[in-house]
Amino acid sequence: MSAEDWFREDRLPHIFCAGCGNGTIINCTLEAVDSLGWKIDDTVFVSGIGCSSRAPGYIKTDSLHTTHGRALPFATGVKMAKKDFNVVVFTGDGDLSAIGGNHFIHACRRNIDITVICMNNQIYGMTGGQGSPCTPKGAISTTTPYGMDETPFDLCELASAAGANYVARWTSYHVRELTQAIKNGLQRPGLSFIEVIVQCPTNYGRRNKLRDVQSMITSMKDHALLKEKRDRLLAEGKPIPDDMFVVGTLTDRNRPALGVKE
Amino acid sequence: MKLVIDDTRCKGCNLCVMVCPYNIFQEGQQPNQRGVFVPGLDRPERCTNCRLQQLYQRRLCGVCQTICPDQAIRWVQESPFEPQKVVIEY
Repeated sequence: MSAEDWFREDRLPHIFCAGCGNGTIINCTLEAVDSLGWKIDDTVFVSGIGCSSRAPGYIKTDSLHTTHGRALPFATGVKMAKKDFNVVVFTGDGDLSAIGGNHFIHACRRNIDITVICMNNQIYGMTGGQGSPCTPKGAISTTTPYGMDETPFDLCELASAAGANYVARWTSYHVRELTQAIKNGLQRPGLSFIEVIVQCPTNYGRRNKLRDVQSMITSMKDHALLKEKRDRLLAEGKPIPDDMFVVGTLTDRNRPALGVKE
Repeated sequence: MKLVIDDTRCKGCNLCVMVCPYNIFQEGQQPNQRGVFVPGLDRPERCTNCRLQQLYQRRLCGVCQTICPDQAIRWVQESPFEPQKVVIEY
């Protein structure tokens, strides 16, 4: 089997805009799932509402397309009822951090054995480009026409602080590293949270002078700071640039997990 | 193996043009029937995966396939070389 066999060929091409990175993340996830030898019948993909949450519709496995922000409670239920199942949650930044924020911290606290893949496009893409809790400072959206003046959410720090076992952040440009991170997350007992910064040229880039995919990808690549480099800068006492975000494996530990089959 | 772009799925985002280390993908010049500028292939036989996948029995590189958001890039088996009987007329 290969990653291509997991796609519902009759549903493709998908409805994501040209240049949207969500398809890349589906590719990486399916490649990681496939390399672990999981069976289609034992895997469940759960999603909430949003662009990212349309992803399970293109995958052959059983899936749940749930209410807005409530993907994690549904996934908890699936995992508690069927401990043999491998549960993966696709979610977006608006779904996970805005309306589902409370569910997210409690899922991390319980440390349920699921994998959460957050496609963070830094905006509400599906509803027309409103500012989300992850919109960076100064970015223009339809609800922040003079630039966002609030500090964005750092979802990885939140997941680490709330108690997730494995936390990593990558961008949709780093496909190899992302596949490896998803693979590590799937194998780890307990909640694994992988945040992927993804380009949205239609609703984010268009209003922020990053109209084409190439410039969005280049800006993502330029603003990514490896965790090793961040640690080195901190050790040397040098300042860390404000507009950079840290990528890499941020937390990797073994807290007691819920829902692991004995 | 042969590299093909499925032009019924491609949406012309040109991400493959950006990531290919051999610059095999070239930005499309002509819109196809659906109005999409599908990238063209410049000497695709240079691709490592085309040449060496059979030998190594695994996918090499393959970044274009992984990064393609529309699942449009894949490798297909080329029909094997079949020896043909040549009839020689005296």
